[in-house]
Amino acid sequence: MNFFNRALKNVTRKLSKSILLLLTFFVIGNFVIVGLGISQASENAKIATRRKMRAVVTYEIDYDAINEYVNSLTDQEEIDEFYNNGFPRISINDVTDILADDRVLTANALYTSQFYQTEDLDYVHLNNQAEEQMDQTESCYIDMDGNEICQTYMNPAFFVKANYYPNMIEFVENSFQIVDGRFYTQEEIDDDAMVALIPQALADQNGLRVGDTVSFYTTDPNSLAQGSYLADTGITVDDIRLDLEIIGIYTHNQAVDPSSDNYDWLYPYENPDNMVLMPATTIAAQSLKIQQASFDHFAELYPDDEYYQDPANRPTEELVSYISDVTILLNDPLEVEPFVAEHGQDIPQFTVMNANNDEFDRLSRPLDTLSLFANFIVWLVVINAVVIITLVTALTLKTREYEIGVLLSIGASKFKIVAQFFVELALVAIIGFTISIGTGSLVAGKIGEAVLDYQITTSGVNEDSDDIYYPDYESIWDTDYTTDITLDDLVGEYSVSISPLIILEIYVLGLGIVLVSILIPSLMIMRFNPKRILMNQN
Amino acid sequence: MAEILRLENINYSYIDGGFERQILKDLSYTFEDHRFYTILGPSGSGKTTLLSIIAGLDTPKSGKIYYADEDIEKMGLGKYRRNKISIVFQQYNLINYLTGLENVLVAMSETDNELPKDHKQVAYALLEKFGIVKTKADRMVSQLSGGEQQRVAIARSLASNVDLIFADEPTGNLDTATEKEIVGVFKELAHEYGKTVIVVTHSDSVSALSDQRLLLSEGKLQDIK
Repeated sequence: MNFFNRALKNVTRKLSKSILLLLTFFVIGNFVIVGLGISQASENAKIATRRKMRAVVTYEIDYDAINEYVNSLTDQEEIDEFYNNGFPRISINDVTDILADDRVLTANALYTSQFYQTEDLDYVHLNNQAEEQMDQTESCYIDMDGNEICQTYMNPAFFVKANYYPNMIEFVENSFQIVDGRFYTQEEIDDDAMVALIPQALADQNGLRVGDTVSFYTTDPNSLAQGSYLADTGITVDDIRLDLEIIGIYTHNQAVDPSSDNYDWLYPYENPDNMVLMPATTIAAQSLKIQQASFDHFAELYPDDEYYQDPANRPTEELVSYISDVTILLNDPLEVEPFVAEHGQDIPQFTVMNANNDEFDRLSRPLDTLSLFANFIVWLVVINAVVIITLVTALTLKTREYEIGVLLSIGASKFKIVAQFFVELALVAIIGFTISIGTGSLVAGKIGEAVLDYQITTSGVNEDSDDIYYPDYESIWDTDYTTDITLDDLVGEYSVSISPLIILEIYVLGLGIVLVSILIPSLMIMRFNPKRILMNQN
Repeated sequence: MAEILRLENINYSYIDGGFERQILKDLSYTFEDHRFYTILGPSGSGKTTLLSIIAGLDTPKSGKIYYADEDIEKMGLGKYRRNKISIVFQQYNLINYLTGLENVLVAMSETDNELPKDHKQVAYALLEKFGIVKTKADRMVSQLSGGEQQRVAIARSLASNVDLIFADEPTGNLDTATEKEIVGVFKELAHEYGKTVIVVTHSDSVSALSDQRLLLSEGKLQDIK
C-alpha cells in the first residue's frame, strides 16, 4: 500500500471530493483546449500561408528615407552635394556578408544593362513595328557654323542581367532551365571572367553552341563617330566590344505573347529571347576600363584642367561595382523575418531590407488578435486554476491532518505524503482533462470560427486597402519575386482542430497546474508535527 | 533480558501562561526486551509527553534516548518510527478511507525491515490472529467496532516487524471485556512474540497485568514494586 495506491484509493473512495475536483479540471480543460486550439489554428494558418509565399527578401535603396532626408535640408548646396556625391548606392561589399548566410538559397544581386548587336550576331526578331524603326533612329542638331548635322543611332538589342551571385532565382524556381552547359561560378565572378549564358532561341538563331564566342557592343558604336558624345574620348570600338564565351544555353517560360496589347512596340531587348546572363563583375570591369580610358585621354588632352589632373577623380572600381537592387531567396519562408531582423540592422543609411510582409501582416492582424486573446484566456484560466486548486488542496489538508499524523507516526516520509497528494490531484486532473479533450474539440472549432468572423468584421481588414491599384504588368526590367496573398488564403488555412501537440500541451499544463498548486500545501505538510496532530485527536 | 531502550537525563518543559512548566526532569530509565511495561501517573503528569518523546514523535529539551545503544536522534526520528517502533493510540488512528487490511499494508509498505514477500497474506494472518477475519479485514475501518479497530491498530503495529510497541491509553475507549482481551494481546506480544510493549494508562486493571509497572511522578519514572 504505497503512496500511489493510497492516492488511488483516496480518489476512488472519496468520490464526492473527487467528482468536484474532476468538474473543476474539466471546466479548466475545456477553456484551455479552446484557447490553445484557437491559438494554434491562428499560428498554423499564418505559417501555412507564409510557406505559400516565396521566401524573398529585398534589399534596395530607401527612396522614402532619401526624400525625407532631402526635405529636411534647407541649403540648396547641401542638397546638390548629396545628389552629386552622397547619393547612396548598394555596393557589392554591402551584400557580401548577407549573401554568405547559410539561409540564402540564391540571390539576384543584379546589375542590369543593354547591349548592342555586332556584325556577328543577330537578335531574335519579333517582327513588329518597333523593329522596323530600330535602325532608323536619327538625331539632328545645328553646329556652330549653322549646318544641320544628323546622325543615326542604333537601339540596343539585348538585355543583360549580370549577377554578383553564382546562380539566379529563376534557375532555382525553374522558370529558367539550363539545356546545355552551366551557370558561371563564384570564381568566374571574382575573376571578371568573359563568360555568358544565352537563351536557346538566340543560340539557334545564330547557330551558337556552348564553347563558342558571342560578341556584343556595350555602347552604340555610332556614339564613337565624329560629333557624337564618345568622339574624341580615346575610346575605340575594341574597347566597347565584349567577346564572351558561351558557357550555358538556357530556356525560359517568359515568351512574349504576340496577342498582347504592347507587342507591336516591344523592342528586341524587351524580348526575353534576347536576354544575356553574365557575371556582374565582368560588366563592371569593362565599364571601368572605358571610363578610365576616357579619363586618361582627357587628362592628356587637357593638361591644365584641374579635374582631370587630380588622380583622385580617376574612376575606380568602387564607382562601377554597385547593384541596382538585391533580391534574396531564402531556403525557408519562415526565416524571412528573422533574416531581416538580423541583417537589416547593419545595412548602410538610405538602404532598406524588406521582408515583403506588409500585406501578410495586415491580413493576418485578426489572427494575431485572436491568438493573443486565446493565449490570454489560457493563461488567465491557468492562473485561476492554480489559485483554486491550491485553495482546495490547502483546505482539504485541514481535514486530512489526522491521516497525515498517522502516516508520520508510522514513519512515512513527508515527501511521500506530498507525492500522494500530488498523485491524487494528477489522477483527477488527467481524467478531467481527458474528458475535456472530447468536449473541447467539439466546441473549439465552432467558437474559433465565430470569433474569427467577428474579428475580421470588426478589424475592417477585409475592406479594400487604400493603396493605389496598379494593374499586373510583368516587365523585363523589374521582376516581382513576391507572392500575392489574400484574406481568403489565410482564412482558408484557419482550421481549429485538436492536434496531438495540443493534447500533450494540455496534459503538461495540467500537471504543471497540479505541481504548482501542491507547492503551498506541501510547505504546510512539511511543517506538520505528528505529535501535535495525534495528541489533539486523542 | 537485554536492554532495548535507554533514557538518559530527559528534560522537557513548555511555556504555559507565561510560566515554564517542567514536565520531565532528568528522567533516566532503561527498558528491557520481551517485557510488558505500563506507565501510570496522575493526569497532567506527562505520560503522553513521555510516550511521544520515546516514540520519536517529539524531542526532549535535553537528554538522550538510545535504542539498542544507538542514539535515536542520530538514527533519524523518521527512520526510528519506521523501522524500530510502532504506536497504538487510544483513538486507533486508522486511515478511514482504507480497509483494515489496507491499514496494515500501509505500515508494511513504509518500513525498511525485511518482511515476507506476500504482504497481503501476512496481513490477513496477523489480523486473523487478533480476531479480524478476512471478511472484516476487507471492510472499511469505519464499519468496524471500536474493539475491532483497536485490534487492527495492534495488527498494524506488528506488521512492520518492530521490537518495540508503544500504546497510549489503548483501552480508553473500550468496554471492560474488550479491555481485557486487548491487554491479553499485549501480554502475548511481549511473551510469545518477544516484543517490548510500553503502555501508558491510567487504568489499574491494565497495569496490574503488566510485567513492570512504572509511575511517572514529578518528572521522573520509578518502578512500582
